[in-house]
Amino acid sequence: MADDVRTRILGATVDCLGRFGIAKTTVDDAAKAAGVSRATVYRYFPDGKDELLAAAIEAAVAGFFTELAVAVDDAPDLATLLERAIRVSHRMVEEHAVLQKVAETEPERLMPQLSQSAPLVKEAIGAYFAEKLAGVALRDGLTVAEAADWLARMGLSFVFGGGRWDLDDPVAVARLVREELLVAILAEPPGPAEPPDR
Amino acid sequence: MVVTAVSPALPDLDEQQERILDAALALVARWGVAKTSLADVAREAGCSRATLYRAFPGGKRHLFAAVARRELAVAAAEVSAAFHDGDDLAESLTRALVVAARLLADHPARYVLDHEPELVLPYLGFGRIDALYDRAVATFGPVVATRVREARAAWLVEWAVRVFISYVTGPDPTFDLTDIDRTRSLVERFIVPAFAADVHP
Repeated sequence: MADDVRTRILGATVDCLGRFGIAKTTVDDAAKAAGVSRATVYRYFPDGKDELLAAAIEAAVAGFFTELAVAVDDAPDLATLLERAIRVSHRMVEEHAVLQKVAETEPERLMPQLSQSAPLVKEAIGAYFAEKLAGVALRDGLTVAEAADWLARMGLSFVFGGGRWDLDDPVAVARLVREELLVAILAEPPGPAEPPDR
Repeated sequence: MVVTAVSPALPDLDEQQERILDAALALVARWGVAKTSLADVAREAGCSRATLYRAFPGGKRHLFAAVARRELAVAAAEVSAAFHDGDDLAESLTRALVVAARLLADHPARYVLDHEPELVLPYLGFGRIDALYDRAVATFGPVVATRVREARAAWLVEWAVRVFISYVTGPDPTFDLTDIDRTRSLVERFIVPAFAADVHP
């Protein structure tokens, strides 16, 4: 029960960030949007706005990666999984209205918050890839942990921006993953992509 | 000389402007950007506020943008020269990354990264980082094209920048970019393989 209320407050806070921005969102706004009293919000977040804000952004980030994992998890092999992860995460970022708004108008408030979550996020993504790398033949001398760390770091890098890569183009993403990203870690090249289906 | 031809142009500043920028940098190293006023800079530079305004009419924003521009141009020249000094691609990339990492670690403006990250992090964020990759490609593409075929130089620069940003914002004891051997290991394992076929004979 308590968990539901906490989750509702955090979700409502993210909505407020989209409506009012980071600077102007207050504890009162969050309480009203969540349909609870101010006192209730303070019970879960005694340090007030700063604590609430950090928790809301952290929860949104966790939610993003959980949703992403669900979307890609049934990929038949590592290369396909990475291709889907890059394309889907790109789409999710582009379509995330609150993220787009806050990134545009208040990057100086958003980015420090994201960099707080970054170490834990990278660790979690690394652990996920370490599992996916089990049984995969890696280049001589490369450990699973090192390979997973590389995928986590570069995966995160592509979430923030595609650079010269058109992440909407399945052919470009296939080249990125199979000819450049994986070449660094696999003992054998991954081979060509399946015809794009999503 | 190849290095001058490929390294980025340093901004055109007169002696007075250089002195003012040096003063601003010295203060930022101590107190950061927020706490440094134009009056402080004038005092440190030993000039009048009028002189300072004449040199940088756009005020504090103009002044600190000029500091950033100059420091980045100087750093870019050193990184390009380091790349150029390598005997092969792995060596060139290693030197470039190590010089970049050491410049960052030792720089007076380090204070800003450590205490005022909100001034720098936006440039690494959604919608803005792509511009940073483009600038890096424009700056380092030419010198990198002395080692790999031109069509691939931009892609290599972007990978190197992604790696640099990742390890600078999320350090890892195994891959300390200020350490030559560790960086060479990183470069040889993770970056060079994708470009092995593109190296100039």
